[in-house]
Amino acid sequence: MSAAPRNPSLSDVEFIDPTPMPDSIPKVDEIGATSAPLQSAAFFIGAYCKEYNEDFMLCKNENNDPAHCLKEGRKVTRCAIDLLRKLREHCDKEFEAHWTCLDLNNQEYHRCRAPERKFNACVMSALKLEKYIPDSPANKPQIHLKEKPLYY
Amino acid sequence: MTTIPQTQDLPRPGGFPSIRYKRNLPKRGPSGVVLLTAVAAISAYGFYRVGLANEERRELKREKSWGRIHLVPLLQAELDRDTYRRTVAALKREAEIMKDVPGWKVGESVYHNTRYRMPTHIVVPEKDV
Repeated sequence: MSAAPRNPSLSDVEFIDPTPMPDSIPKVDEIGATSAPLQSAAFFIGAYCKEYNEDFMLCKNENNDPAHCLKEGRKVTRCAIDLLRKLREHCDKEFEAHWTCLDLNNQEYHRCRAPERKFNACVMSALKLEKYIPDSPANKPQIHLKEKPLYY
Repeated sequence: MTTIPQTQDLPRPGGFPSIRYKRNLPKRGPSGVVLLTAVAAISAYGFYRVGLANEERRELKREKSWGRIHLVPLLQAELDRDTYRRTVAALKREAEIMKDVPGWKVGESVYHNTRYRMPTHIVVPEKDV
């Protein structure tokens, strides 16, 4: 068996490593969602999984080795899956309307305010999660709550 | 010899009519001052609107950034799991390849510290493996 060291970015050989995860690592489902649903739910993931996310990022800051933060990473993924399941359970229609809109509008938030407002209201009533953009100017309404936006 | 009585040259009785020296052009439109003020006012309003739009665009950018920041841990965790799985497989492959070389340490860093570095090269098995 021979093998050549190759620079992965210069390699023209397609290589998909089929080796499964070692059994010592607990199994976790991957999130499996595409970019639009993730972007639609991003602020709720940030709010709902705040502790897990911050824990994970602090761990990564401690040591960048992928093996170091697997446990924290599993918690992050489980939390996000849990949230997506809850969103599908309570606000399926609104969620789907919003992420479909994002998908059709170059994933720009400002072009999907109407479905977003319905979605946010539903999540607020069902899960008590609020979209909040940190570091915005305090004396003005947040951009997604602006009454007459110039860009829409 | 007759003498002509001297007379001073005077305007005719009632004086000359005034000479028309101005061009006789009709008045055309508002004056320069009015035009300048109007243009300045329109421009000022325009710049005010530009300022508002800049402010709004800045907030939209912030919204987009935070949307992505909230997703970073999730995506990074998924990538880490995959990287870990591939690293383990690569080390196993390396151990298999180098099993006959005495004193070979599998996965040993070329640096004299333990800080993690992304592997710059990967060992890819030949195609039919």
